[in-house]
Amino acid sequence: MDNMNSEKIMRRTEEDGVIFMSIKNEDEKAAESTDKDITILAIESSCDETAAAVVRNGREVLSNIISSQIALHTVYGGVVPEIASRKHVEKINGCVKAALCEAKLTLEDIDVIAVTYGPGLVGALLVGVSEAKALSFVTGKPLVGVHHIEGHICANYIEDKTLEPPFMCLVASGGHSHLVYVKDYGEYDIIGQTRDDAAGEAFDKVARAIGLGYPGGPKVDAAAREGNPDAIAFPRAKTTEKSYDFSFSGLKSAVLNYLNQAEMRGEEVNRNDVAASFQKAVVDVLTEHTMEAAAEYRCKKIAIAGGVASNTSLRKRLEEECEKRGYSFYRPSPTLCTDNAAMIGSAGYYEYLKGARSGMNLNAVPNLPLGNRERRYHGRS
Amino acid sequence: MKILALDTSGLVCTVAVTEDDRLLSEFSIQHKITHSELLLPMMEQIKNRISLDLNTIDAVAVSAGPGSFTGLRIGCATAKGLCLAMNKPMVAVPTLDAMAYQFYGSEYVICPMMDARRNQVYTGVYIFVPEKENEKHREIFFSMKTIKAQSAMSVNDIAEELNNIGKTVILLGDGIPVYRDKLEELLKVNYILVPAHMNRQRASALAALATIYLREGKTVDADSFSPEYLRASQAEREAAEKAAGKKETKADSGKNGRKSGIASPIYIRDLKAEDITAAAEIEKACLGAEAWTEKQLLEAATRDDTVYLVAEVSGEVAGLCGVRNISGEGEVTNVSVSESSRGKGIAFEMLSKLLLRGKAIGCESFTLEVRGENKAARGLYEKLGFVNEGTRPGFYESPKDDAIIYWKRNNTND
Repeated sequence: MDNMNSEKIMRRTEEDGVIFMSIKNEDEKAAESTDKDITILAIESSCDETAAAVVRNGREVLSNIISSQIALHTVYGGVVPEIASRKHVEKINGCVKAALCEAKLTLEDIDVIAVTYGPGLVGALLVGVSEAKALSFVTGKPLVGVHHIEGHICANYIEDKTLEPPFMCLVASGGHSHLVYVKDYGEYDIIGQTRDDAAGEAFDKVARAIGLGYPGGPKVDAAAREGNPDAIAFPRAKTTEKSYDFSFSGLKSAVLNYLNQAEMRGEEVNRNDVAASFQKAVVDVLTEHTMEAAAEYRCKKIAIAGGVASNTSLRKRLEEECEKRGYSFYRPSPTLCTDNAAMIGSAGYYEYLKGARSGMNLNAVPNLPLGNRERRYHGRS
Repeated sequence: MKILALDTSGLVCTVAVTEDDRLLSEFSIQHKITHSELLLPMMEQIKNRISLDLNTIDAVAVSAGPGSFTGLRIGCATAKGLCLAMNKPMVAVPTLDAMAYQFYGSEYVICPMMDARRNQVYTGVYIFVPEKENEKHREIFFSMKTIKAQSAMSVNDIAEELNNIGKTVILLGDGIPVYRDKLEELLKVNYILVPAHMNRQRASALAALATIYLREGKTVDADSFSPEYLRASQAEREAAEKAAGKKETKADSGKNGRKSGIASPIYIRDLKAEDITAAAEIEKACLGAEAWTEKQLLEAATRDDTVYLVAEVSGEVAGLCGVRNISGEGEVTNVSVSESSRGKGIAFEMLSKLLLRGKAIGCESFTLEVRGENKAARGLYEKLGFVNEGTRPGFYESPKDDAIIYWKRNNTND
């Protein structure tokens, strides 16, 4: 890293009182990362879960509090941003207090405050970001803004204490479908992503179409277990050769067409078969791309993350494929697959070690990109 | 008492620190930068500039809504975090009350308006009423009286409301530039548009009002607090409309976030427009045919030569009284207490306050009439220093009764 550059940024901090992210020099970083335990209070409010957690050294979870709003949004058939944001305001202090209480710690025992600042619903993100900044302002503890998807990936560090980069990670959730090559702690290369709908979004839409309701993921998963995955031949989306990108909107349309045609012919539709066949099409594409990417990158460690990672069929298929090839397969337990703050605490820890610090002007960034974000704290232009 | 106050409900991001009647610092920015990026850096600046030790803060005051939904949440979540980390109480002040408080001492009606979109404004109507602690003092102080508590309403409705009050009005808030032409067309009263230093939210006014709240013990639980949006979310509105068969639905007005009378079970305050129905019912139950109607009460309460007070017991109006100044003579026009709340000294407390407030609007003596048979009331008036000065035989009907005329002259003992 360029020392001149880092000095310049530090000086700007003193003059302005505020700065987005500043950089510590390598010596300070090394001194910090060695002997002392780092205890992080993490806050997550990017979608419909208000969550707070206390995590030690990025791997040990002392508490992990999640206040879910799923029941609230079920009435509306999906997450309503305004309702979610209002609920976050009501719950945020309770979650933070519960997380500290369960960890048997007070704010004074905390070393760093980490918070999700994107991507997600802007109104929802702002609640967590405002709370975290206020806590950091009063206590003087450093603040670290965390990328939500990086959090999901880091859930694997909590689940398996031995996992170390590099590894290939498939991230699939309601808002995201990414194939990420994790080069090192905090260094991510996106090698494939969805061109249209996220995998979880396709699950939600299909669930609604066949009358299963919200949340779609677990409901399709359950219905699929009762159905025949080979009953209907839905298309596997092919994007251009040599690309690891996904596309799920064609598959979603195929399911809707199938349902329409059946209805026009007056035929009874077997919902379980539709669910099973749709799910198999999704799982096939996700698995295929992940395995091809692993081969190309000569990567023998495969991890999954995100809400869709708790899909039983996907976990089973990936596990089988990894076993065939002699790869190690890592998957977080279902609690760590949903949105939670422990994973933010883990990601925040590695960001902190890399010297990332957020200023009091940290803002919510609803479409925060994953791949090129590292530029900011390496001082490259 | 030291207060850290913040308001992000509208276009202005504003922070202030006050200590009793001293403004230590105030910082406002109205520019195209999000409140989220401004609020904490502004606080940090203030903290550094005045070497503020956060431990010395007694309470965090926040604008409790209405306002921009996102703005309110940034302010609230920040205030909640501050209260949690500092372990200090939160004071929630209704946004429009704090805006009106900038006009402390004004003789005009004050009407802040915030643009609420969909041809509506968040608005309320306020006046300042002069008072004296004691007649011997020269000092006058003011209490802010809410004529119309804050709510979301159409520009037409608020204009009509202001026309009914019939007095010159001060207009402020970000709704004014939006609806100025419409107001010019609708208003039949004179209006005043105020300059830049007093036409938007200011954290110093919020802090000043919060100081009074804190003194009265009106704090809220920071952990469970949530702002007063005055409107349901669109999804909730649509669901409610669906359920009600497209019937018009109004935002939940039941919980207006005001908790009064925490310290004492009886809370004496000014009569507000929302109290009119309850007050008229008490009048009717007490006085039957002689009771004033809602219209009469509202008309009387909004004049500037009257003081109307109500007694609130556990959130319900339990009594009312009023006085009108007729060239220095205060005519006590109404005194009634609901049947279930009698025998608790409510009338005595209400009237004591009414006499003080009456003096403040220039009443040198007071007079009232009472039924000869109403022994309880006569005892009370005599206890308050009223003297029987005459009788109107057979004045009251059904049952027939004499009217006893009482006077409390300024030479009688207090």
